[in-house]
Amino acid sequence: MTPDQRRIDQLDATWHDAPGLWGFLTTVDHKRIAARYIVTALLLMFLAGMLALDMRWQLSVPENTRMSPQLFNESFSLHGSTMLFLVSVPVMEAMAIWLVPLMLGTRNLAFPRLGAFSFWLYLGGVLTLWIAHALDITPDLGWFEYPPLSGPSYSPGHRADIWAQMITFTEVAALAASVNVAATILKMRPPGMTLARMPVFLWAMLVSSIMTILSMPAIMLVTSMLIADRMVSTHFFAPASGGDVLLFQHLFWFFGHPEVYIIFIPATGFVSSIVETFSRRPLFGHSVLVLAIMAIGSLAFGLWVHHMFAVGLPRLGNDFYTAASMAIAVPAGLQIFCWIATMWSGRPWLATPMLWMLGFVSTFVIGGLSGVMTASAALDLQLTDTYFIVAHLHYVLVGGAMFPLFGAFCYWYPKATGRLMSEAWGKLAFVLIVGGFNLGFFPMHFLGLMGMPRRVYTYPEGMGWDLLNQVATAGSAITVMGGLVFVANALVSYWRGRPSGPNPWHGSTLEWAVPAPTPSWNFAYTPVVSSLTPMWDEGPLKVVDGIAIERREVLVTTVTDAAPIYRQKSAGPSIWPLVSALAVTAMFLGSIFTPWAIPIGAVPIGAALTGWFWPERGRAKTGPFAVRA
Amino acid sequence: MNSRSMALLGMVLLAGCSGVQSPLVPSGDQAGALHNLFWLMVVVCGGIYLLVIAGLAWGLMRVRRQSATTSDHTASDKRLDKGVWVAAAVIVAGLTVLIVGSFLADRALFATRGQSAMMVRVTGYQWWWRIEYRDPAGNRWIETANELHLPAGRTTRVQLGSADVIHSFWVPNVAGKLDLIPGRRNQLDLTPRREGWFRGQCAEFCGTQHAHMAFDVKVESPATFDAWLAGQGRNATTPAASERGQGVFAQNCAACHGIRGTLAYGRAGPDLTHIASRRSIAAGTLPMSRGGLQGWIAQPQALKPGTAMPTIPLSAADANAVAQYLAGLK
Amino acid sequence: MARVATVLLFVACLCGCSNEARYVGPTMPQTPPAGDGDPRIASYQSNLYQVSQGGRYFAWYGCSGCHADDVAGVRNLPDSLWRHGGGFAQVYGSIADRHGALSFGKRIPVEQLWQLTAYVRDLPHHTPEKRRRLEVDQKAEAVGPAWTGPQ
Repeated sequence: MTPDQRRIDQLDATWHDAPGLWGFLTTVDHKRIAARYIVTALLLMFLAGMLALDMRWQLSVPENTRMSPQLFNESFSLHGSTMLFLVSVPVMEAMAIWLVPLMLGTRNLAFPRLGAFSFWLYLGGVLTLWIAHALDITPDLGWFEYPPLSGPSYSPGHRADIWAQMITFTEVAALAASVNVAATILKMRPPGMTLARMPVFLWAMLVSSIMTILSMPAIMLVTSMLIADRMVSTHFFAPASGGDVLLFQHLFWFFGHPEVYIIFIPATGFVSSIVETFSRRPLFGHSVLVLAIMAIGSLAFGLWVHHMFAVGLPRLGNDFYTAASMAIAVPAGLQIFCWIATMWSGRPWLATPMLWMLGFVSTFVIGGLSGVMTASAALDLQLTDTYFIVAHLHYVLVGGAMFPLFGAFCYWYPKATGRLMSEAWGKLAFVLIVGGFNLGFFPMHFLGLMGMPRRVYTYPEGMGWDLLNQVATAGSAITVMGGLVFVANALVSYWRGRPSGPNPWHGSTLEWAVPAPTPSWNFAYTPVVSSLTPMWDEGPLKVVDGIAIERREVLVTTVTDAAPIYRQKSAGPSIWPLVSALAVTAMFLGSIFTPWAIPIGAVPIGAALTGWFWPERGRAKTGPFAVRA
Repeated sequence: MNSRSMALLGMVLLAGCSGVQSPLVPSGDQAGALHNLFWLMVVVCGGIYLLVIAGLAWGLMRVRRQSATTSDHTASDKRLDKGVWVAAAVIVAGLTVLIVGSFLADRALFATRGQSAMMVRVTGYQWWWRIEYRDPAGNRWIETANELHLPAGRTTRVQLGSADVIHSFWVPNVAGKLDLIPGRRNQLDLTPRREGWFRGQCAEFCGTQHAHMAFDVKVESPATFDAWLAGQGRNATTPAASERGQGVFAQNCAACHGIRGTLAYGRAGPDLTHIASRRSIAAGTLPMSRGGLQGWIAQPQALKPGTAMPTIPLSAADANAVAQYLAGLK
Repeated sequence: MARVATVLLFVACLCGCSNEARYVGPTMPQTPPAGDGDPRIASYQSNLYQVSQGGRYFAWYGCSGCHADDVAGVRNLPDSLWRHGGGFAQVYGSIADRHGALSFGKRIPVEQLWQLTAYVRDLPHHTPEKRRRLEVDQKAEAVGPAWTGPQ
């Protein structure tokens, strides 16, 4: 049904944001929030990439004195912390925040203000870490700061506390975003989208959100324990008083390993969507893909000890984790099979998003297989903490998450902006990035096998590592150039790209039904779905009407069958998420310096939350609290 | 890849293959077991990668007879369903081979050989190694620092401990690494076979100078080793010409460094009793020489910025004297 | 904007970033402090890295042997009672010149004396729990001939 102008005007009036700065601060539009997340994350990716280039330049020559060890240690700590906590996880959440309501045919997330709150808190984490860097208080002990090195004796000052609190910021933000996404996917699907008819992308976002919720407590606990050790002299990680240094490692990696799958699983969602569209057939092996995602999500919680194989834990236990770590290659491998099978039995169209999928398969599988090698507890004793691991982790994170992300960026860019990115520049960026990445990081496998440990600011002459380090630097530089081409393409296309229309790629899922750029209200009517690929069904999209358009309302449906059950008021623009985030920021920052910040800081937070949850219902007309006439 | 780049790649790889700090040049039982496992992994994983790329290429490049529409997929999907089982079987088979191989290698690494093992105690410090050998004759530990000697063909059991933060002991040519964790005693067996010099390095980030926390490893015949250890067990002797140097040392250095046979018994820094017999200074930072010793003492912060050794201001004569004294401590 | 201002306010409370500065590299020749108004004092006394280095040398030079936590009288350092004055130059002088035969002034390099002075003057600001916690981490560090190995 094509909406008439009156309907469109009414929807605009209901769902628009206030103009100017106030609108910017109070918006709960999931698309605007996601855009902010993505822009911030890409900017941080650039900054962290610059740090990486700096380090690579330092390592091109043996016994280089250009960077002091302190600066180098700060650089790799900042690079790792930024990429893992401030870029990878948030950008995947942001893609979910943006795409999940669109793929579900609904107008906003389940908890609109919580979405805004999660962004402001994430921004607080970003500023905590990077303003600290600007003020030269950069954390300098790596992205997982093991005690006792990060304990009170060997890390004086507040650097480690800043790192730990940055994590608290980003993890609370991630928790907020995950709860939001999971609730939306489970309860706000369009009528007819039973769980069996839910696209793989939504399964991926659902599973990764649940993984976030289950793994986050471990890291919040362990960073709080570290701050407690440093600030109020608890003894959690002090062996001489009965504490245990390994407790930190277990708790950290219990979160840390699921985290990398929290980054990878949304990427599998991107790949599934893009491969389906560009193979021009419905995905092969939908059930296999969904079960594989669930298997990866659950297995990921049973692997963490593979980060601790050199610690000296009992051998039989280590062998169990070897088997589990290798076993996770089975669902991952089956996913690769299903995607290749889809291409094989479809009609592949090698536009830029699809090229990124080819880059993903050819790069990620190398990372996955080097992961199988390091999964062996025995062989890991030679490979861990060397450049082999640096190569492995970059292959899986860049190949397995960033390449799908770049493809997804090109794929959904027309939906966000209404314009197409240039194919020619896109292909150039692809070649530079994928080629440069492989040139830069494949030699690192050999460097590790030649004995070069990681996190070293320099290395001696005569070890034979010089040439490979220089090749790695050259490759990294090429990758960064490709990244700049990519960003330039995105920026220039924003103003001068070819108009795309709503569905330039002939995609199959619901987000391609809305106009591009998408209006604030997303869908004029609630779509009804009867297959996995609603946009490829015969005839126009079926819709249902009934939720109000004079006020903000969304449709809530049942979990398995997506039968409509009630209409839910959807929160409108509000300043309270920003105010609450400021209050929480104040408390988190204060608790870097004094434990009193927690009780004192709870007061403004309570006030802000009171404002947030202040009821908007009318007063009662009967009973003891009735409004007196 | 053309032949020129293959040759270049080969040269690059071979450069590392003569490595003194390389898992790919196994010179001990443990490293040998891991080396075999490594190549098994390369074969299996390489094979799987080639299958994936071949599948991808085939999927993209196969000739399609007619334009596929939605309804045409039932037939090919049936074949692909069988393909899922085949793919699963191949992956499971490959992983089973690797898991069993890994398990067996693990057993080999930690098989009990310690009945007549030479006991060595290694303690990690920021950023050096205290290495003590159990004297087979007497009831004492012979202390040295930053250089490990091992008898070829025999098992040495290294006990690993740390005095401050987490470090990791790694001699890739001989065995895998094991962490030195405060509050924990780890144990690593080393059974080197080939004689020669190797290099070990700390493999767990331990602070500012983690990059310069290495140690030399000498594998020698058991007879040579026994003679060396006996020499290390003797106290230092001070020739008369070095008395001024010994005096300067006692005044400025003895608070942290020890020299057995003198009144210097500092424990915060490496033992210097036989320092001139070692191959390098400051945990592998610079090669041993009299000039190197003098340069290290004059400006440790320039050579290893952030090191715990302070810059001791000495007059030129004192500096000469103490360097001469230390260079005589063989 | 408001967010940035809030963050900056908190960080400004760090009294400038020099507290956390950590310079590693070749040291310049140093001289003892020229009285309590010597401008170099701030970069040692309020720099957390220098104070903590002083703490490590405090153990390594054996000071904790006599100046343990539970001693009474003049050897008790955290009690804020300074027999010869608590200014930086005075405490420096106490360490360097008033230890008799130990003659630290001749044996300990000047920069380390600065660090030790900064640490000793910082001790009264540590709670006993904090001192005990630092001690616990450093228990395995080798101090003197009584050391028997890592814990």
